[in-house]
Amino acid sequence: MFEDDETLQMYIEESLDHLADIESDLLTIEEGGENIDLDLVNNVFRAAHSVKGGAGFMGLTTIKDLAHHLENVLGLVRNNELVPDSTRISVLLKGFDELENLLNNIETSNDVDISGHVQALENITKATLPAEQQDMVSEMVDIHLRDGRVFQQVSLYELEKYKAEGKNLFLVEYDLIHDIQRKDKNPIEVLNNLQKTGTIVESRIDFESVGTLETPAGPNRIPFQVLFASIIEYDMTETLFDISSQFIHAVSDDMVATAVELTDEPQPAAPVVKEEAAAASPVQPTPVMTEAVATPQAPPMQPAAMETEQPTPQVVTEKVTKQAQSKSMEKDLIGGKPQTSLRVNVGLLDTLMNLAGELVLSRNQLLQGINSSNVKATELSSQRIDMITSELQEAIMRTRMQPIANILNKFTRVVRDLSQQLGKSIELDIQGKDVELDKTILESINDPLTHLVRNSVDHGIETPMEREQMAKDPTGRITLKAFHDAGQVNIVISDDGRGLEPNRIATSAIAKGLITDAQVAEMSDKRKMELIFLPGFSTAKEVTDVSGRGVGMDVVVTNIESLGGIIELDSTPGQGTDIQIKLPLTLAIIPSQITSVGNERYALPQVNLNELLRIPASQIKEKIEKVGDAAVVRLRGELLPLLNLAEMLGIQRTYVDPVDKTEKVDRRQNLADRRSKKHMTTEDAMADETEDTIVERGDDRRYHSSSAMNIAVVSAGAFKYGLVVDQLHDSEEIVVKPVGRHLKKCAAYAGATIMGDGKVALILDISNLAQMAELSTIAEAGQQAKAAEEEAAANADKVALLTFKNGESEHFAAPLSIVERIERIQTDTIEQIGDRKVVQYRGGSLPLYELSQVADVEALPKREQQEVIVFKVKDKELGLMVTPPVDALEVTLDIDTSTLKQTAVSGSMIINDHTTLLVDIFELVKTMNPEWFTEEAKVAKNMAEEGEKILLFAEDSAFFRNQVKGFMEEDGFKVIEAEDGLIAWELLKERVDEIDLVVTDLEMPNMDGFELTKRIKNDPKYSHLGVIALTSLASEAHIEKGKSVGIDEYEIKLDREKLMSIIRKYLNL
Amino acid sequence: MNDMAVDATSNDLEFSTFYVGGALCGINILNIQEINKHFEITKVPQAADYIEGILNLRGHIVTIIDLGKKLGLDPVTKDKDNRNIIVNSEDEHIGLLVDAISDVVLAQRDDIEPAPSNIGGVKGKYFQGVLKTENQLIGILDIDEVLKE
Repeated sequence: MFEDDETLQMYIEESLDHLADIESDLLTIEEGGENIDLDLVNNVFRAAHSVKGGAGFMGLTTIKDLAHHLENVLGLVRNNELVPDSTRISVLLKGFDELENLLNNIETSNDVDISGHVQALENITKATLPAEQQDMVSEMVDIHLRDGRVFQQVSLYELEKYKAEGKNLFLVEYDLIHDIQRKDKNPIEVLNNLQKTGTIVESRIDFESVGTLETPAGPNRIPFQVLFASIIEYDMTETLFDISSQFIHAVSDDMVATAVELTDEPQPAAPVVKEEAAAASPVQPTPVMTEAVATPQAPPMQPAAMETEQPTPQVVTEKVTKQAQSKSMEKDLIGGKPQTSLRVNVGLLDTLMNLAGELVLSRNQLLQGINSSNVKATELSSQRIDMITSELQEAIMRTRMQPIANILNKFTRVVRDLSQQLGKSIELDIQGKDVELDKTILESINDPLTHLVRNSVDHGIETPMEREQMAKDPTGRITLKAFHDAGQVNIVISDDGRGLEPNRIATSAIAKGLITDAQVAEMSDKRKMELIFLPGFSTAKEVTDVSGRGVGMDVVVTNIESLGGIIELDSTPGQGTDIQIKLPLTLAIIPSQITSVGNERYALPQVNLNELLRIPASQIKEKIEKVGDAAVVRLRGELLPLLNLAEMLGIQRTYVDPVDKTEKVDRRQNLADRRSKKHMTTEDAMADETEDTIVERGDDRRYHSSSAMNIAVVSAGAFKYGLVVDQLHDSEEIVVKPVGRHLKKCAAYAGATIMGDGKVALILDISNLAQMAELSTIAEAGQQAKAAEEEAAANADKVALLTFKNGESEHFAAPLSIVERIERIQTDTIEQIGDRKVVQYRGGSLPLYELSQVADVEALPKREQQEVIVFKVKDKELGLMVTPPVDALEVTLDIDTSTLKQTAVSGSMIINDHTTLLVDIFELVKTMNPEWFTEEAKVAKNMAEEGEKILLFAEDSAFFRNQVKGFMEEDGFKVIEAEDGLIAWELLKERVDEIDLVVTDLEMPNMDGFELTKRIKNDPKYSHLGVIALTSLASEAHIEKGKSVGIDEYEIKLDREKLMSIIRKYLNL
Repeated sequence: MNDMAVDATSNDLEFSTFYVGGALCGINILNIQEINKHFEITKVPQAADYIEGILNLRGHIVTIIDLGKKLGLDPVTKDKDNRNIIVNSEDEHIGLLVDAISDVVLAQRDDIEPAPSNIGGVKGKYFQGVLKTENQLIGILDIDEVLKE
């Protein structure tokens, strides 16, 4: 094998380059079918040909062989002798794959068995030929030169082909030393030049003529033979090839003779045989070519030589080259570092060169300006340098950018092969091929993308039959789309397949033990779909060799996240799936939020940043809570753990002493201390501040009473937390620089960057910070706090209220549980009948009331539209006209039942800084429509006559107790009150004979409703009593628990009508 | 243990000497890239205590080490004589913060005597040897040993 590193490397690169576009070209050719696009075919043909040409010269016999056969088939296509159908293209594709593979593993290429490919290709070629010519395809012939030497093993078929085209054949013998190296040429260039005027049939180095180092004269000639087909006549060739005519041999028919016996073994090509002969007899190979002629005079002797020994070609070549290969060079070659070089647009290089030139110029100007103390000139040149630098940066970044087409294009093939294999019909649409991405990122997203595309083909798109049944186009569609958005590159993979079924995924995840039922119950469909990202998940029922290869979606996610990217999933069952990947343009420069603590700045990668939060000093007290040792902030109902960066890093706060200008350690401790003093009033803080006599107030606002707390809400993986910093600055694009080895142990930093002023800022590692803080415990504390809070809320009887206004400054609220809905009607549709108002509504009349009819409040202001809250009382709907805003909120009832109590108003409480009156709808209706309640009155009357019904009512909240007791008594019941379950139990034991029914709250101190019910139901003395539970929040879990202990009915507090009817039902009234 | 100096072929050695924590030390001048007085140092919280911080040296991040603390002497007292000696160690630039720079001393390889186990409170392993001049004793530092983590 040829061992000139540079030339070989150049050949490999060039060949791979040739092959790069072949795949898509072949696929386009396939699509075209009989309408052959000659340009494309020529493209592919030329590629195969160039590869072949170089390979011969390099001694890469296997590559040459394969390329040769590929070329033959393509030649047929080019001459319209062969229709490129799908099977043939498949053979070609596989052949080119193998070729690429061989080129990538160049040093072992000669040992690879390609007979399968060769056979398949030969079969295609043969099939197009008449029977008598078929043998020609695999037949090899030798060319006997006039001087007796033989140029062996040439494909007869090819020779015939050129002859048929009317071309002349020449055997040109270059000398690598004199004709090429001494003339400063490069073998590949020579070959490329030749290709302009004709076709290279074969090229090889005649090692046999070289001789060895042992020969006294040393090698002074390395013949490089090229078999060349061209329309040029012999007399022109001397000029064309630029060598003496004695080395140019015109090949005529009589020189061609069948290479007997060698045809069976196409693998060891001619040079090998010759080399053996050379190696076997050191006398024969002499440096001068003419002397070398003696050796293979009689072709029939050759096979004998071959049988005797089987050395590899390398044996000889190693002798020829001086074995002085340095180790590093070998490593470069054999280690085969993939893609160490990068192709850069020459235009871009020119731009860079230009910019470098300008930079030098501007530097000179700057130096001049400084030397002459010319401020204006200095300013000007600094501006120029600023501009040039930005441009330079951009241009250099561009050299790293590669079009995404490089990887997207290959998916055409992936989809084609896979869909054929799976019997599916799929069309792939690739959009946005021009979008460019950093080389490193591009290389790393290849695998994840392949996985996703394979998934779409395998699991996403249905079989044509299934699709037809679903009335879809039998041909599925996968779209790969790349586009820029918000400084990021987006790649969307969408298919119109069966989509993801959230519940099936969830069931599967449960079955695999990845999550629990309870977790699933709380999940949205989207969350359920995202379960496929969990490690150990795969939706396919069976693992196919297509997408289930032990690599799950979790690996895809990890890969993409390690690039600083995000993956999102969106799917509609039956309609398809969209997977969106967002990637940064480059890894070296990242957008970051600059923050500062003390005097130092810290960069916080934007990828991790969710939002910025600023809590004014006045609100710190309410917003920041302490759970155990951890501080948490309430953000939209969620508890967010807080980490104080200064504390985390143990930054000692210093300030510059105004007197002696030295840094002193801050006497005050840290932010948390201030926070713990949160009950401190503003005045206190001011006093505190003056005490401290901090001069540098502007620099250090922590000391200012108005100092707000700045929080960067960040997330990294499972962690989401608030990072408390002193100040938030701009968002900047920063260049990531590695830090030295002494700092590698500091896990808190991901690197460092140089800021605009030349100072260094550290880049924070958000996820390591979370781990350092053992944030999981904080998160848990947060959870506990939340749980505790929920419990407290339940105990405190939280009630959902609907708030609204009557007059402009009159605030009202009504329990949300009894509200049917809220309507807005046109005022002119309201009909007045006597003193009643009604509106036609859903085919009936809805009576309308306003609060001023029964209570001492303002009349409603006149407006064009009227908001109406619809209630249902006694199975009849009625509307209460109110003034907006109408809002729903959950509050802890703390009702003053005396101060503002009046008809239809059960009490007042403060909601959102307004005194709000609680409307008693029931009373309102009763006042307005006493006739609706005649039945109740009758029952009450009966009870009064026939003996009272006594209810035991346990309720810890005084408001509710009075409220509920009020309407029980109104309906004629006698009520025994109890403040908690235990008291109720004692009362029950004493007065069991009197009591007819138990009504109990669930959440109560000392003994809750559940326990009370349990005791009642488990004691035969009391078990006959019905128990009705009252609750503010009836959750499924509660009801379940209640049923298990024997609660007979559940009612919502404040739904008077329902409660009373249930009570009556239980007492058979 | 390393050889006496980097350049094994020459018998002439040059040492850049400096004061740190009251002691006079020297480094083979071939180890030194530059000596500067940039003190725009960014502190690195949580780093080892002898790390003074990091510095932007023409676009490279250089770790600055308080040589006094590192050697177990008094920390470098901040004044106008302070200098950073930027040395090359294991393909990385590292700055050594010293109290003050002194002369460059020329010496013969043979003049350097083996270091005692302890020089002025500094562990002997940090020294390649000692150099006696007319009126002073210079401890020749083994940079790789000093900068080992």
